[in-house]
Amino acid sequence: MTEPVIELEGVEKSYRFFQLSDVRLRLDAGQIMGFVGPNGAGKSTTIRILMAMIGQDRGTVRVLGHPLPREQAAAKRHIGFVSEDMRLYGPATLAWHIRFVASIYPGWDAAYASALLHRFNLHPEQAIKLLSHGERVKATLLLALARRPRLLVLDEPTTGLDPVARHEVLAELMDVVRDERRAILFSSHNTQDIEQISDQITFIDRGRIIDSSDKETFLDRWRRLHLDVPPGVTPPAPDGVIETTASGRIAVVTTKAYTPELDGVYERAGVTVREVQRMTLEEIFVANVMSNRREKVT
Amino acid sequence: MSRSIVGQLILKDLYLVRWMIAGSLVAGAAALAIMPLSPVSAYVGGVSFICVLVILNIILVMGAVVQEKKDKVLLFVLSLPVSTSQYVAAKVLSNAIAFVVPWVVLTVAAIVVIDMSQIPNGILPFLITVLGYLLCYYCVLLAVALITDSTAWHSTVITVGNVSVNFLIPFLLGLASVARHREGPTAVWTADIAAILGIEIAAGAAALGLAVYLCSRRTDFV
Repeated sequence: MTEPVIELEGVEKSYRFFQLSDVRLRLDAGQIMGFVGPNGAGKSTTIRILMAMIGQDRGTVRVLGHPLPREQAAAKRHIGFVSEDMRLYGPATLAWHIRFVASIYPGWDAAYASALLHRFNLHPEQAIKLLSHGERVKATLLLALARRPRLLVLDEPTTGLDPVARHEVLAELMDVVRDERRAILFSSHNTQDIEQISDQITFIDRGRIIDSSDKETFLDRWRRLHLDVPPGVTPPAPDGVIETTASGRIAVVTTKAYTPELDGVYERAGVTVREVQRMTLEEIFVANVMSNRREKVT
Repeated sequence: MSRSIVGQLILKDLYLVRWMIAGSLVAGAAALAIMPLSPVSAYVGGVSFICVLVILNIILVMGAVVQEKKDKVLLFVLSLPVSTSQYVAAKVLSNAIAFVVPWVVLTVAAIVVIDMSQIPNGILPFLITVLGYLLCYYCVLLAVALITDSTAWHSTVITVGNVSVNFLIPFLLGLASVARHREGPTAVWTADIAAILGIEIAAGAAALGLAVYLCSRRTDFV
């Protein structure tokens, strides 16, 4: 078994009004993990811990085999990091930033940087302070990608981008993920973006990882069933059902453990399954978060 | 790698403040140039000279340390293969160079101007003590900027630092040793002047030492 690119075990971090609790995360080479959570869920805190910008209170963090924060410099030699709120030096030009970063990374790919400049329609001699938000995100992405990092950490990179810029950024990332040795952690609350490029999904809410699996498993096992429940019949509550709403004879059941056998369970109880709907990642995310919050309350 | 990354960060910081350093040297030289012309211009030049170093102090610290954190450029810097202790070391060294080099150049230039002009050399201990204060003020402001992100603390140090010059100058001029020799042809370094200089240097070094120590224990940088 190869060493994971990212391995977080029992990571905790406490602030006055927020706590990251028992975070466990594993990402292997070649995987693209979508890290999904609502605003304030703990995505950025987790990411900043694995970039050693914030120290964990408890737990272990290993990135590319290096324990953090102790060996952060060695780990960061192979990480490209882009964050929505990351800024570059306003008065300096993009060309200066490129020279600066290239001087630090021996593996800097100048040809790829030039190609990205062209593809993103960026002008190297333009001062950073004159770039639009979208251009700035593309500039930081260029500075991260041309390092040819083994791990790409993206903290909500598409937030605030117009549709065209978002498409350009995602298209570039889709290109990057063809390299099977590279791992990507992509945080967002935009499930469309996550669904497009990720093969692993981890949901986080209120400082806790609430679910983690590969995308296909998520999409396969989550279903919404529309049931016809005759009067006097109580529908069964098989394992995995997280929500049931009823109106007259019609009941809608959301399950996180769907198998075709579930239809038989309902049929045998006298309930007719009218429709089995696949759920989008956004619907799965919302249902998962809400169910988790209800469980915590009860 | 570790030495080279610190070096790269220092060069980066110096590049970004190059115009501030150049501007302070030009403005400081202009202030010195008018000093020998008349007693009034000596006063105007002297005050302008102090102002140049105070402005350089504030602009350097606010631009290279405080603004870097506020603008989230720190996220970019800390994403590079640098440990937090290397970042702090680079920041202290680059800022020390950015201020101390113009400070030394302008101090030497002031000594030369006074020595070559009609301005009595007896004023030199007073001048060096005031310049020593500005160096100490810079170290304290840099230390506070490294330790805390609090705008209230930054503003407090800047206000106290600027206002204190107005107390320091009359205090120094009121010292018997300074009053006795300042119109004289030679600089006389008395024990109380040496003690004040020692306190200034020790306070500046202690502030920076404390900042480096506290930053080395800090786990959260953003």
